[in-house]
Amino acid sequence: MNDLLPLISRHGYVLLAALCLAEACGFPFPAGLAILTAGAVAAYGGLHFHAVFVTALIAILIGDVTLYFLGRVTGWSLLAILCRLSASPESCILRSAEYFYRRGKTTLLFAKFIPGINTMSPPLAGSMKMRIEQFLQFDAVGAGLYVGAYALVGYLFSDFLRAITRGLRSAGFAMEVIVGIAIAAYVGYRIWVYRKYRLLDVAPRVPVDELARRLASDGPNILIVDVRSHGYYDEDAERIAGSVRIEPNNLEEEVKNLPKDREIYLYCT
Amino acid sequence: MARLLQQEGFKAFVIAGGLRAWRKAGNPVEPVPQNDLVKLPSFT
Repeated sequence: MNDLLPLISRHGYVLLAALCLAEACGFPFPAGLAILTAGAVAAYGGLHFHAVFVTALIAILIGDVTLYFLGRVTGWSLLAILCRLSASPESCILRSAEYFYRRGKTTLLFAKFIPGINTMSPPLAGSMKMRIEQFLQFDAVGAGLYVGAYALVGYLFSDFLRAITRGLRSAGFAMEVIVGIAIAAYVGYRIWVYRKYRLLDVAPRVPVDELARRLASDGPNILIVDVRSHGYYDEDAERIAGSVRIEPNNLEEEVKNLPKDREIYLYCT
Repeated sequence: MARLLQQEGFKAFVIAGGLRAWRKAGNPVEPVPQNDLVKLPSFT
């Protein structure tokens, strides 16, 4: 915030548009904070309030329409990518789809205020074949509410935001130390997780040529198992010929049906 | 998952490169059966 205020004052609409576009495209940038700050700058006459509103709105709509068409073209693949960070990608896709379908188009009106749903809504609308006119209509109102709310709060509470900025500057060193410790802790945690899963990753890997040879010579004793947690949504989805699927999120039940006297070869995408 | 299956007493292996490598090597694939496809809602 203490950096964003002078930056927005200096680079104005370009920076605002870039941050809003980036966030709308799914990148973790603080568009809400940028709009809030731009609203505050507008209160001091550095920017025009209406221009702030229009700039942010157009940038967000460009990002949303891009994701909408990507969702429309790629089907569920884009959602699978967006859900990859989730603990359970399949339930992430299904839950988002159900939520979006149940609430219908009205989701688009408030989706911008909810992290996660914010990024998922446009590709969901595209994947679920919502008509573009309908999407634009609801998404534009939703984006307008989002931009308007943040810009107005920034405009009305500009003095308060400036006071916070001054406070943050005076506490700058302490903040930097805290942020540094947080980053170090996060990096340490990621290294710990990586090492933990590396240790678990001891299952033998078999090249496809080798498996094809084994299948040719000892086919009946081999079972190929598809363990993809997603990728089964498109009509033209394919799998290895003769393979069977097990649901990775229900492994406890699934293993009861697997034969112990056959070699099991697992694969995903 | 292969590790978990091994712990349960299965002879489990992982196909290196997955479906992509299998398909790239020219090995046979088949359509996913209709029963296995997860139908998701559509606005049309």
